[in-house]
Formats: sequence, C-alpha cells, structure tokens
Amino acid sequence: MSSESSRSLSSSIFLRGRRRGSNNSGRRRINIWAWIIFLIGILYFFVPLFATFEFSLRMVKDQYSFEAYRVAFEDPRFYTNFGYSIMWAVITIIISSLLVVTTAYWVHWRTPRLRPVVEFITLMPFVVPAVVLTFGLIRMYGSPPIVLIGSPVLLIAGYVILSLPYMYRAVDTGLRSIDVRTLTEAALSLGAGWRTILFQVIFPNLRVAILSGVFLTFAIVMGEFTFASLLSWPAFGPYMEEIGAMRAYTPQALAVVSFLLTWASIGLLQWIGRGAGQEQIAGAH
Amino acid sequence: MAFLEIRNVSKAFGENWAVSDFNLQVEKGELISFLGPSGCGKTTTLRIVAGFEQPSSGSIIVDGEDITFKAPNQRKIGMVFQSYALFPNMTVAGNIGFGLKVNKWAKEDINKRVADLLELIHMPELGPRYPYQLSGGQQQRVALARALALEPALLLLDEPLSALDAKIRVSLRAEIRDIQQNLGITAIYVTHDQEEALSLSDRVVVMNVGRMDQVGPPFEIYNFPKTEFVAQFVGTLNAVQVEVVNPENQTLLLDGQQIQAQSGIEGMRAGEKVMIAIRPERFSFVSEGKKANVLDGTIENITFLGSIVRILVNIGSFSFNMDTFNNPYLELPKIGDKHQITFSRQAVLVLNNGSQS
Amino acid sequence: MSVPEIDNRINGGAPLARPSGKRFNWDWVGVAPFFLFALLFLILPSISIFIRSFEAVGGGFTFDNIIALFTEQDIINAYKTSLGISLITAFAGGIFGFFLAYAVILGGLPRLLRVFLVTFSGVASNFAGVPLAFAFIATLGNAGLVTRGLENLFGFDIHQTGFTIYNMWGLSIVYMYFQFPLMVLIMAPALDGLRREWVEACENLGGSNFQYWRYVALPILLPSILGTMVLLFGNAFGAYATAYAFSGSFINLVTILIGAQIQGDVLYNPGLGNALALGMIVIMTISMLGYTILQRRSARWVR
Repeated sequence: MSSESSRSLSSSIFLRGRRRGSNNSGRRRINIWAWIIFLIGILYFFVPLFATFEFSLRMVKDQYSFEAYRVAFEDPRFYTNFGYSIMWAVITIIISSLLVVTTAYWVHWRTPRLRPVVEFITLMPFVVPAVVLTFGLIRMYGSPPIVLIGSPVLLIAGYVILSLPYMYRAVDTGLRSIDVRTLTEAALSLGAGWRTILFQVIFPNLRVAILSGVFLTFAIVMGEFTFASLLSWPAFGPYMEEIGAMRAYTPQALAVVSFLLTWASIGLLQWIGRGAGQEQIAGAH
Repeated sequence: MAFLEIRNVSKAFGENWAVSDFNLQVEKGELISFLGPSGCGKTTTLRIVAGFEQPSSGSIIVDGEDITFKAPNQRKIGMVFQSYALFPNMTVAGNIGFGLKVNKWAKEDINKRVADLLELIHMPELGPRYPYQLSGGQQQRVALARALALEPALLLLDEPLSALDAKIRVSLRAEIRDIQQNLGITAIYVTHDQEEALSLSDRVVVMNVGRMDQVGPPFEIYNFPKTEFVAQFVGTLNAVQVEVVNPENQTLLLDGQQIQAQSGIEGMRAGEKVMIAIRPERFSFVSEGKKANVLDGTIENITFLGSIVRILVNIGSFSFNMDTFNNPYLELPKIGDKHQITFSRQAVLVLNNGSQS
Repeated sequence: MSVPEIDNRINGGAPLARPSGKRFNWDWVGVAPFFLFALLFLILPSISIFIRSFEAVGGGFTFDNIIALFTEQDIINAYKTSLGISLITAFAGGIFGFFLAYAVILGGLPRLLRVFLVTFSGVASNFAGVPLAFAFIATLGNAGLVTRGLENLFGFDIHQTGFTIYNMWGLSIVYMYFQFPLMVLIMAPALDGLRREWVEACENLGGSNFQYWRYVALPILLPSILGTMVLLFGNAFGAYATAYAFSGSFINLVTILIGAQIQGDVLYNPGLGNALALGMIVIMTISMLGYTILQRRSARWVR
C-alpha cells in the first residue's frame, strides 16, 4: 500500500538520525528537505536583489560602473524628496507614539474592558487599504465644511493610521510583558506622582518596544508610495516612481538604496529588540 | 532477576557529565523515586529510560531485553510529563485513546478501555471535555490515564505534581500511589520534593550532580543518611564539624563539650575532624528524661510551626534546631533561658562524603 | 474640600468617601484622543464611502454604482485579476511560506539561519512597492537578468512563451516577495508554540512522526495557517504601489481603478469610485473576520 510505505519511509527518515546517535544530545532530525526548501527560498529572495544590483551597474554600455548611482545622487530632487520623507516620518513617529503609548497604557491600567475595541481599531487599517482610505479622506475633507486637502494633515493622518497596527502591537506586547498594573500600584504606594510613574517607571521599561515601533514606522513611511502619490505630496516613494517612468538603470540604483535603508532600519530594530520576540510585519503597499 | 536494570549509565552533554555511573535494579511492582535538586541528573536518567536521550555509555534492560537503542515509540513504556503534555486539539477521551488508536485497536475496544480508565481516575463524565477546560489536577489525571492506557510494563513520571497547588499535590500523589499499587505496575518517579519521595516510594535514589548518593527505603534514607548531601537534602538537619577525642569509645569534642556517638569513627585518629549530624527531633530537654549526651545551651529563638515547635539553641559557636511537639498546656521556654539539652548516642550520625550503593 | 455627608441610613452613618451624585467617568479621558483620531480619519471616511456609493452623478440615491460593479466589463476584469492574484499568492504563498518557516524552526537547520530568515522577512515584507517593481523589472523584465541568463544559457526566451510580469501570473510571482515573508513571520511563533512534550508524548504512546503531524501538529496549526492565508489574501487584494510602479494605470486591478478615480483619469463618477471602494472594504472585512475567527480558534487550544 503506497500510503503505508510512504508513512514508514518518512518515519524512518526521521528516526534514522536518532538511532545512530550515541553522543547526540537529544534528537536532531537533519532533514534534507529543510535544506532544499531553505535554499529555494534564498534563491527566490536573492536573485532579484542581485539582479537589481547588477542591472544598476550597467548604465554605461558594455561595462560595469556606478554611473547610475552618480546620476541618482546628483539629482537635487533626490535630496529634497528624501528629506521630505524623513520629515513626514519624524512627524508621524511623534504623533503615533504619543497617541499609541498613552492609549495603550491607559487601556492596560484603567480600562481593560476597552482593549478589544482599541485592538479592533488598530486592525482596521488592514480592512481599509491605503487607496481606499485616501479615497475616503479626499471625499470627506476635500470640500467644505472641512477642507484639509491643501495641508499635509491628511498625509500625516494617513501615515499615522498606517503605522497604528505595528506601533500598537509593539507597545501592547511590551506593556503585557511588564505587568503594568502591579508596577504602577507599587510606584503609587511609594508615593510617586503620575509624571514620575510614566517617565521613570513605565517608559524606561518600554524602551525596546517603543523603539521597535519607531523603527518599523520609519521604514514604512520612508518606503510609502500610495498616500504621497495620490495626495500629491513630495516624498521618496513618488520620486522613485517618477524616475522609474523617465529613466533606466537609475531606478534600480534607487531600489538598491531603498533596500539598504530598509535593511538598516529593520536590522537595527532586530538588534535592539533581540530576545524580545516581536513580529515585525509590514504589509503590501 | 530485576525487572528493570539501569547498568553503568553515563550521559555527557558536551563537557558536562549530567549522569555518571548510574546503576540500579528495580523489582517488578516497585515504585522508585529519583530525588535530588535541579540539575542533579534525575530527569536525564528518566529520559534515557524513556528513549528521548541516548546514554553516552551503559545500557537499559527491561524484562531481560536490552532496549538501549530502541526508538521511544517502540518501548511500551508509559510516561507522564511535568507539563501534562495533553494534546490540546483532542478531547479527554481522544487523548486517553490516542495510544490505542495509534496501535490500531478496534473502536469498541478503545471506547471500553477509555471508559474504564476514566473510572479509574474518577472522571467518568469528562470524556468530551477539552484540556483547556480542565484544572491542573484534572489534566494530570488524564495524562496518567493516557500513559496507562496501553498497560505498559513500566511507568515513568517526571515531576508530575510540581505544577500543582500544595493541597492538590497531596491528594493526587496518594491517588497515584494507589493506582500504581493496585495495578502492580513498576514505576519511576522523579521529584525534587523530599516529602513526596518519602511518602510515595518503596525505595528512594538520592542523586547529586549526576551521581547516586544513596539508595534505600525512605526510612533508611531519612534516619541513616550516608553522606552529608543526603542528610542535608532529606529533612532538616543540624550538621557540624567536631574533633575526634577517642575513636575507641566514640568520644567527640563539640565546641568544648564532650559527646559520644554510637559508631562511625572507628578508623579515625584522635585530633581528626569529622562531620556529624543530628536530626532536630532527636533532641529533648533534660527535664523530660536524661539520655547519654547532655549539652548546656541558651535559647536563641522559638518558631511555632503548627504541630511542631522549632527551638533554636545556642551552645557557644554552634546553634542547632530542636523540634518538639506542640503542647498547648506546656509552657514554652523563653528566649535567653539556659537549658540542658539531651540526646542519645544513636542520634549522632557520622557523615562521610563518599557515595554509597 | 466638600463636607462628607452623614446619613445614618447609609453606610451605618459613617461619612461617605465622596459626595454621592453623578460622577464624571474619567475612564474615557485617556482614550479620547485616540478614538477621536480614529473617528475623524478612519471611521468617518469609511462611512462616507459607504453612504456615497449610493450617490448618483447628479445627486440623489441610486443602486447604479453597485450594479456597475457587477456588469461593467472593465470592472469585472479588474476584480477577476485582483481576486486571481490574491487567491494565487494566498494559497501558494501560504504553503511555501509555511514550509519555509517549518524548515528553519523544526527542520534541524542551524539556529543562525532562523534568525536570518526572520530578520530578512521583516525587511522583505517592507520592500514591497516601487522598489520591488524595479527589482523584478531587472530580474524578469525584457532586459532582466534571468531573462538574459535563460536566453544565453539555454537559448530559451521566456517572453516567447507569452510570459510577462505585467499580467496576473507574472504579478503573482512579484507579490510572493512580500507574501512569503508575511507567512513566515506569522507562522514562526505558531510553530514555536508546538511544545516538544507533544512530540515526545506521541512517540511514547507509539506514534510515528507522520502520525504526530496528522493527529496533533497539523490540527493545531491549521487555524493559524488558514487564518494567515486569509490575511495574505487581503494583503494582496489591497496592494497598489507595486502594480502601479510597473506600468502606471495599465494593469487592471481594483486598487488601480480606485486610484484612477482619485486622480481623475477616468470620466469622473464619484459614486462609482465609492462603490469600488466599498466593494473593496467588504472583501477586506470578510477576510479580516475570517482571520480573526480562525486565530481565536487556535489561541483557544494553544496556551
């Protein structure tokens, strides 16, 4: 019977390692399939990266050079747009962290019953993707009584909404791991005021969580395209797309830069949050 | 011939010898405890018997068959884990019947056996429940039933009660012992709780950093410990270093006062130092009857523990704990009082640090 | 400070801690800014989308826009493509992503590889959008590395077979770049949650590795796997930047259509844009609900 034999085959593959092991600490199932799958995955992820890099070096005919990068970095609009994105990122981070940290703390400390509601709201950005939200925002605030189109308010609001799930989850995880109520009560019983509690007890313990949310938000905003493009604000994303439409080779150079930037942010995030066990998930854009 | 023999088993993890020279013969129907602090190798030894670890050297023989290299799923040994390890996606009945299903029992037979086991653990109505709906004690009972379903010849329990409340622990361990004796099943019970080991076992193996320090019935382990470690680990103890005065009539010098042991310093010379220990319950006040040894002491502290009153007595540079039964109509001594404390010669335990078998 | 009231019928005459009467519920103060923000910039716009889907071109109520969703060829094609990509990447991305996560966590690979994959997944899932499009143009486009490589090495021109990254299948390959990592990131903790004692208990009872997966591990993991696949579906459905960067508005996806409505590229019909947006919200809500229900189910078992 084929299912029988396949079953015993798989068991024997997994058991074989064990039977032989006399100095094995525990059972290490060295799985050939695991290596194959891992290598396929690596191949899929790295070929495009390599291809992009290789492509970006081919601006000058028949030789490899960094010409594409020179062109990219000589464009003053690179710096203005990059600068704008950084500015949007910083503003978003400030607003988002203030909003999320205070709310998350309040929910943990005071109103645990509201937690499902808050969590639901932080999941809504998945339900209302960027395009749709932009559509809604322009509709509502594009005409009287409230006109916000001319100001970057909508852009920042969109970015904050975008960052909410990640910020909130990072801070929430952090709060859960430090048992907020007990710490607060201990501090209160020792006579601490609210300012002291927040700044000397809670925030220091949340540093890793907040930082990880910050880095993630930074990476997201820097790479964001939809909001900036549709709301017509200068940012790195739309700039890259423009270059992509006008030129060859330079877009790939920009892609490499963007990838390195993201790698740096997330890498820093991982390094800071080591052992804290967080998921850093960004969605599609 | 012994039912289970653990022969010369040693296990190293890298440079670290977790178990060294473990030798034990277990009779059929015995319940043996492995007792010791964390890291002493008791769980490692158990897992070697179960097949989850391979020994670096040595062998495991069950009922005449060498099973050292047999895969764990072919050993027909039941195991109860510390964290219960119930399969969360199956009901209680599903969990208990899992081993039977895997061994291709017929459906009606499985149902009957599961029902019998549910009766055994006093949970006949709870078959359709899921583990997350049960309390810790209930989960552990289900884990026990699951391990017993296949009627294994050997049952292994890895600190099964350490995750439970104190009261449940006491009642559940009595239940486990009952079931084990009724079924006549050979069992190894790993624990760090000496009260558990003493109350449950036919014999106790006390382990220390991978070695067996002593094996014997609970009575013997407690009253006649062979090493300082065993004496310290099992029960409270007063241990002190004394000087040999006269090896022939067993006289020792304790802080300027002379006492006499019953035996144990035969091979020693005068002036040598040796460790002795005396259990707190072996002391009494001279006013209640004088015994061979008498010491002058001052009451340093009194702790009321319920049925026992623990009195800390100081004799110069050494303080020892003395336990007396609580008697509400007897006046307790006061701190600072001077009293004469007495104990017999047999109460003096001479300790050496070698391991015994 | 107010004088404590003394009323012998209440509290046995002892003074009350606070004067009785209406108390202001301070509980709401801390969460008010958050709720206000969400209301203004998330909830109200969504509601407005819902309401205005029924708005006719000149004002007034109509179902025409909703009907157009199901009848206009352009829109139907857009939905087909979007749904197609979402289903393909959810399914394939889910399966391969799961295997990838399994490989590094339970497959006996060195621990370093696990850390590497999880970190890289965090980066890759964020690489989506414009740079990803450029990267795949450089890989599978007309002058891409793989295209040229296959031609030079095997004389095989993939574009001859009709392959292109600018259609549903091609775009799916691109989308995998952030779908695989998402699956890995979410499944990694779930796989971690498979306690070693379950494997041992199963073995101890005579079960083989296959039986362990069939009766214990997969049933436990299935809600997570399915739930994450649903999330992947929603994720792909809502993607905009990557597709747009490929060719502006030339690929027909629902998100692109909505974007076009915003930019006023197409004949301006406010109601239609809203209806499209509404359709999208409905699909995403269903997918979100599916995800939440399935996650709840698995959380119940594994604690």
